[in-house]
Amino acid sequence: MTTDAPVRNGVPALLARPYKYLRLEWTAELGMLRVRTCVKPIQCYSLAGLAEMQRVLDDIAANPGLVRHLVLSSDVTGVFNFGGDLALFVLLVRAQDIDSLKMYGRRCIDLVWWLEHAALRGVHTTVLVQGDTLGGGLESVLPFHKVIFERSAQAGFPEVLFNLFPGMGAWPLTIRKAGFAVAKDMILSGRLYTADQLLRRSLVDAVVDDGTGEEAILEVVRSVEPRLRGTLAALNAQRIAAPVSYESLLAVVESWAETALTLTTRDLKLMERLARAQVRKAGGAEEGAVEEIKRIELDTAWGELRSGNTGFGEERGTGLTAWGAL
Amino acid sequence: MSKFFADLVIRTDEARRAFETHPVVLDAVARGLPLQRYRTLLLELYHVVWHFNPVSAAAASRLSDRHKQVRYFLYEHMQEESGHEEWVRNDLEAVGVPASDTEGHKPSAFTQALVGYNYWAAERSHPCSVLGMLYTLEVIASVYGGPFASAIKESLLLEGERGVSFINSHATMDAEHMADLRRILATVEDRDAQDAIVDAALLNFHHFTHIIEQV
Repeated sequence: MTTDAPVRNGVPALLARPYKYLRLEWTAELGMLRVRTCVKPIQCYSLAGLAEMQRVLDDIAANPGLVRHLVLSSDVTGVFNFGGDLALFVLLVRAQDIDSLKMYGRRCIDLVWWLEHAALRGVHTTVLVQGDTLGGGLESVLPFHKVIFERSAQAGFPEVLFNLFPGMGAWPLTIRKAGFAVAKDMILSGRLYTADQLLRRSLVDAVVDDGTGEEAILEVVRSVEPRLRGTLAALNAQRIAAPVSYESLLAVVESWAETALTLTTRDLKLMERLARAQVRKAGGAEEGAVEEIKRIELDTAWGELRSGNTGFGEERGTGLTAWGAL
Repeated sequence: MSKFFADLVIRTDEARRAFETHPVVLDAVARGLPLQRYRTLLLELYHVVWHFNPVSAAAASRLSDRHKQVRYFLYEHMQEESGHEEWVRNDLEAVGVPASDTEGHKPSAFTQALVGYNYWAAERSHPCSVLGMLYTLEVIASVYGGPFASAIKESLLLEGERGVSFINSHATMDAEHMADLRRILATVEDRDAQDAIVDAALLNFHHFTHIIEQV
């Protein structure tokens, strides 16, 4: 298939569907499909948003050779993605509905699995993060071949704050990119990290100044394009060398769902606190979930000080955000 | 046991998100409501709560023996919900609305539409549709009730449970009800009943969103 395929609404007709939460753009000469997510006003992985993303990926897979570069970014200012749909989680946990929790997890890892095999499908993937990305939001960028963060972007896995863990690929993908120690520290601490800190941990491939992310994308795509076949072959070999199995992703999802069912009222209230902070940010407030996480960390740190638990290692609590670390 | 609860969650997810992301709801959950608007909301809620048991009774009286388990579930639920309109009335008094004003309040068109639809659905559409009403009200209470009550307390400087006892207590209580509701929904296996429940949930989310919008 060539890039001369018929175009509808600026996108190859084979990919052009009426999406509610995604905006597609097409650059024919590069075979580049831009996918901008806009799950407004709360940018998260809602069921409908996940379904639309899966549809895009299925369409790409159904038309091999059409898309050579897939680029994901967010249309919501200051937020890449808040991760899971917290209100949905609260609903499902309160209903003790493990089947739906597993179903949600499976939908997430199906996207991860597709991206994991993108090179095999002839597609190079790039993601641009221009704002906060938390939990599942950070998890979702890890399978991309090239991860670009603008400098002010912040990210982390805060799930441990409410006694959960990121269950849709965070462990294997972070281990593969940054090593076991970093994965353990990030997931068990619940800390937030700046773009530069993530770069130093090898989770991010490039950090660019705010407002220059779009240029950075084109630079990446244009540099990969002349050596695409070799790059994809190498990336596929990388996948073979350090494989992530669907079975292991699924096993972690099952464990995640079982853990979610054990969340207490206190844990759910913390989750609601974060959800409420997301709502405030969506309503235009300066402070959002990131600031709320810092407050929760502070509360926890004060609790540890009062209880005398200031030790380190696995037993410690979440502590303060590692702004000065590394 | 069927996985209808998961199906219901998926089929009504956009309606739930539409409620959650409505600008008025977003603002209310983030910043609470001014006193007068909170009073109006409670007055509207009073009518929703007041008609909850009669709607459930209408449905229970029309359920066939095939759905006997739903009928028993409704009996228990009505027992638990009995008198809860008094909690709303007490909250109204706490925020300065005398009982006479509460009883004299004429509900908005959307509240009447919500209540009227639920009677009609129970009597003329499918009695199992009452479970759609329950699902919506319990999702709203258990998922959004807690943060909303916190926002109201902060914005109106209310102390303890005063003025928010109905919303706050239902946020906790309906958390337990959600698990019960999931179990009973899993026993509903015929397609007509399932579709009626989904339709009712969608309608209730839609009307409830507008009830909050107009306060």
